[in-house]
Amino acid sequence: MDEVERSEAEQAEVEQNESEYQGYDDIPGVTLTDRNAISDFIKKTKAQDVLNWGRKSSLWFMVNAMGCCGVELLSTGMAHYDTDRFGIIPRNSPRHADVLIISGYVTKKYLPALKRVWDQMPSPKWVIAFGDCAISGGPFYESYSTRQNIDEIFPVDVYVPGCPPRPEALIQGFFELQKKIEAKKDRGTEY
Amino acid sequence: MDANSIIDSLYSQFPDDIYDTDVESDIRVVAKVKSENITNVCRYLKENLSFGHLSCEFGIDYPDRGEIQVLYVIGSYEHPVVLTLKADLPRDDPQIESVVPVYWNANWYERETYELFGVKFIDHPDLKPLVLPEEMLGEWPLRKDYKGFPNKTAKNLV
Repeated sequence: MDEVERSEAEQAEVEQNESEYQGYDDIPGVTLTDRNAISDFIKKTKAQDVLNWGRKSSLWFMVNAMGCCGVELLSTGMAHYDTDRFGIIPRNSPRHADVLIISGYVTKKYLPALKRVWDQMPSPKWVIAFGDCAISGGPFYESYSTRQNIDEIFPVDVYVPGCPPRPEALIQGFFELQKKIEAKKDRGTEY
Repeated sequence: MDANSIIDSLYSQFPDDIYDTDVESDIRVVAKVKSENITNVCRYLKENLSFGHLSCEFGIDYPDRGEIQVLYVIGSYEHPVVLTLKADLPRDDPQIESVVPVYWNANWYERETYELFGVKFIDHPDLKPLVLPEEMLGEWPLRKDYKGFPNKTAKNLV
């Protein structure tokens, strides 16, 4: 390899490194990347099964009681049903939560707030539509202020029907979500 | 103070503004009022006839008559009579004076009537939508000719 070729190769290497470190050069001694090549590779291996086993066993849900179904949502998190044994724990901060439970009709005014809660939750995250109102609008489907077809906005994995559903139904909904995560069929992750 | 004496007192004080009165029973009185003088009538009711409590205030849309009616249901702590005042406003430009200077709790009632019917309350301290989102202002969803209802059920049901 003569000098010209070597210098060109170095040049290319430097450019590549520069593009790789772009935006993170203010952290000394730390190499960061904004690519998800590693996680994309892991998704094709058996390691993802172990990851999903861990994820399905710690479904912390966001306490976001939106309507009368929210009362059932709250009681599900209480000690009587003891959902801790399944790893289902209510969290009061969206930054700790894995599951967003839409537990009521979504009005046009509330939708931006719900989207903001959803955006604050870190991935991987899932959505459960809890109750008739969240699924189809319920008795309020024709109202001037109701936003229909929530599943077009959020990637809903599990629908729990009922008006309101019992807490046992919500726990079963979590089981269905666990089955979907274990089978890699959930919509919270792109496989 | 009974229902008839209340009506007589109102008539004698505002002969030009009160019309179409009706004594439905001993405790229910209905009267129509000209919209220009609503604040003076309410102030007279509060100060002289001891109507101290505005129970509710809301609107009714009458598209056939081309009118929007604003209703004031006023009760009292002194006597059992409940008075319903009705003010007819033109439907294309409904404007009425605010009664917040007299009854402070009319503030949110008037904001709600404003966002749902489009009634402009003149001299209201803070006339903005109460619960509707800002972008729905101007649709007036409780008017009879409102077209913004979702015209289909949720797609999972059809």
